Amino acid sequence: MNGQVSAAVTLRAAIESFAFHGDARPALRDVEIVAAPGSLIAVLGGSGSGKSTLGRLLGGWLAGGRDGKLKGRLELESVGQQEAWRPLVFFGADSDPQIDPAAWAEQVGYVPQDPAAMLSAVRATVEEELAFGLENRGMERAEMVRIVAETARRTGLASLLERDPATLSGGELRRLAVGCAIVADPAVLILDEPLASLDADGTRTLTELVAAELARGTAVVVLSQSADLLTRLAEPWLVLEDGAATAAGPPDRILAGEELASSGVVVSEPSGAPSGQVQQFAQAQSRARPAKDSVPALELDRVSFGFGTEYLGRPLLLENVVLDVWPGEIVAVTGPNGAGKSTLLRLFNGLLSPLRGEVRIGGEAIAGVPTGVIAQRLGLLFQHPHDQLFERTVLREVFFGLDRRFGASAPVRAAEALASVGLSAAGNVHPHELSGSGQRLLALATVLAREPEVLALDEPTVALDAHGLRRLSDAMTAAAGRGAAVVLVTHDLAFARAHAHRLVELRNGVLAAGD
Amino acid sequence: MAPRLNPLTTLTAAAAVLVITTAAASWVVSLTVAAGAVLLAGVTGAARRVFLAAGVILAPFWLSLLVMHGLFFPEGRSVLASWGPARVTTEGLGFAVDMGLRTSAFVLVLLLFSFSVRVPELVAALATLRLPPQFGYVLASTLMLAPIIAARLEKVRQAQESRGLVVGKGVGNRLGAVRLQMVPLVLGLVHDAGIRAQALDARGFRRTGPRTTYTQVRDSPAQRGFRIVAVLLAAAAVAVRIAASLSRGQA
Repeated sequence: MNGQVSAAVTLRAAIESFAFHGDARPALRDVEIVAAPGSLIAVLGGSGSGKSTLGRLLGGWLAGGRDGKLKGRLELESVGQQEAWRPLVFFGADSDPQIDPAAWAEQVGYVPQDPAAMLSAVRATVEEELAFGLENRGMERAEMVRIVAETARRTGLASLLERDPATLSGGELRRLAVGCAIVADPAVLILDEPLASLDADGTRTLTELVAAELARGTAVVVLSQSADLLTRLAEPWLVLEDGAATAAGPPDRILAGEELASSGVVVSEPSGAPSGQVQQFAQAQSRARPAKDSVPALELDRVSFGFGTEYLGRPLLLENVVLDVWPGEIVAVTGPNGAGKSTLLRLFNGLLSPLRGEVRIGGEAIAGVPTGVIAQRLGLLFQHPHDQLFERTVLREVFFGLDRRFGASAPVRAAEALASVGLSAAGNVHPHELSGSGQRLLALATVLAREPEVLALDEPTVALDAHGLRRLSDAMTAAAGRGAAVVLVTHDLAFARAHAHRLVELRNGVLAAGD
Repeated sequence: MAPRLNPLTTLTAAAAVLVITTAAASWVVSLTVAAGAVLLAGVTGAARRVFLAAGVILAPFWLSLLVMHGLFFPEGRSVLASWGPARVTTEGLGFAVDMGLRTSAFVLVLLLFSFSVRVPELVAALATLRLPPQFGYVLASTLMLAPIIAARLEKVRQAQESRGLVVGKGVGNRLGAVRLQMVPLVLGLVHDAGIRAQALDARGFRRTGPRTTYTQVRDSPAQRGFRIVAVLLAAAAVAVRIAASLSRGQA
């Protein structure tokens, strides 16, 4: 962003193998990638394919020696530079070169899958967070102010500069993480799942940003488990499965092949709707809506809420929200980033209390009832699995609280819940060691195991590959089939239309019928 | 009010007040300082957080002081009541109250400072003193540690309650909940710290070259003057205290 044209740098990586310490099996093997100036490359792969590991290696966040055993070569090649960089060759030995992460990041900007991981945690506003990397480089203040303003404009954060990063929504946080990477004006940009949690505006902003970076000569690598609008602009595609490249080449050829289907990559139609879901969409629309019992499973009766509204006079986030969800009904809540969708779900189980109005489950008001008691009837899937998972093993995670609820049958229920999301074999694994998709499914299992009357799912599709989406779809359908009400908050309109009986949109604090 | 002041001014004021309180060694001064801190906390809007944190720190401290010195004070002569070896003496109670008030003043002033200062502004202000940047960062991360721990603990609590944990009102219930939360809290913090270290490295946190600051900190001749006066007053208080001790020793 210091000039109109990015320094022409090519990133060449030839990963012979990379294995985390303690793992006999390499997480990556025989992967080659060349990111040339002005080119967009998509690395596609399902859950556990190794694409995030590849992203972290390329971004200098994983280091051979410190984090695992790396064999291969990383090379930055600059046109017209007087002194050429030497290739970094790794043999998996102690004498291997050490990457200076800061120097590497000057050339290679990396945005992790979890955008919160990008934050310094010692900055109180979005603009200070954006400036953090520039301060460390000793940049003059006037120049910093200019770059921060420009970055905010390009990432759509201009109206959020004074906000505390901890209060941003998922989509806003992702744009901030991208902003933190591009302020340093890297010649190569690595983006891991850049469109996850973004609303339509955010998706457009980010796609335009990538296009502008390409026009400036930046080499961009996008890692994704979805052949979506952004990755369809890329060429070539590289498909990863089980740590190895199974296909590489132009998108048309890969779309015609079989590797994509087996990899678990979600393939969207060029319009954005996942192809496999078009048919389901028709089914969902034609599916008879559940018969309305005498009492809705979940009722929001003119609920209003705002953070700091009472004491600091801040405006309401939700105003007179009315929502009835009937047993067996699936309702999707959509709306722009920061509209208050996650806040809405936290009102369902008493983690937040309405300023006005009433929340009822099965006809009973929940005011004054502890969240732990409401949890017997309503299961909440948090937006970030990291916030939901706290135990030492996958099995302990699902088992937590089940014994109090189900007594002797708790172990069986835990095992069934894990089986339903395909994690039976991972019972002794630490939840943090699961892939993004695995963590989301584990969090889902903790909700399913309790068989609640109401399931409240916050962005359940984010980070899920095609296999994971199928499990989520099955779980939702099964829950609705046994009479549970399901409310899901999502930006994935195609998924929402394919599964929900109706869509409602939250915008400017008001909940209205969606399209 | 506080954000308009340079953080160095509030830091100097807090430090000077604490030095003077220590030098004075008088319960009247300690009580005045503590009351002043309470009043300021109310004015700056930090009252709730300051009182909560101060309560957690000071309640057990006062209790232990009263038990230790209120019941067992060997130098105590004026016995008010006694149960076997335990004797409540005027001197013991006086000592406990004096120590308690002094510590309360310390805790309240420091909490008021840490809850009202904007940490990035403090780091920026310290950078103008040409202190090593790492010093500023260590201070910043220390001051921000409590909010980070509190946020993480809140997330663990929400996750557990959402899965059926009911925290009752009794002490036993709360202790049980704390026991359940501690391991996830510590493991979560360690995990977060590991991830954060990678981000900080990539964003140049460990660079050795010069740094600049984005945050602009207001300052004025009046504030600079105030800081000098505060430092001089603190030095004078220490000097008077030493002189008084020396003269008492000679006498």
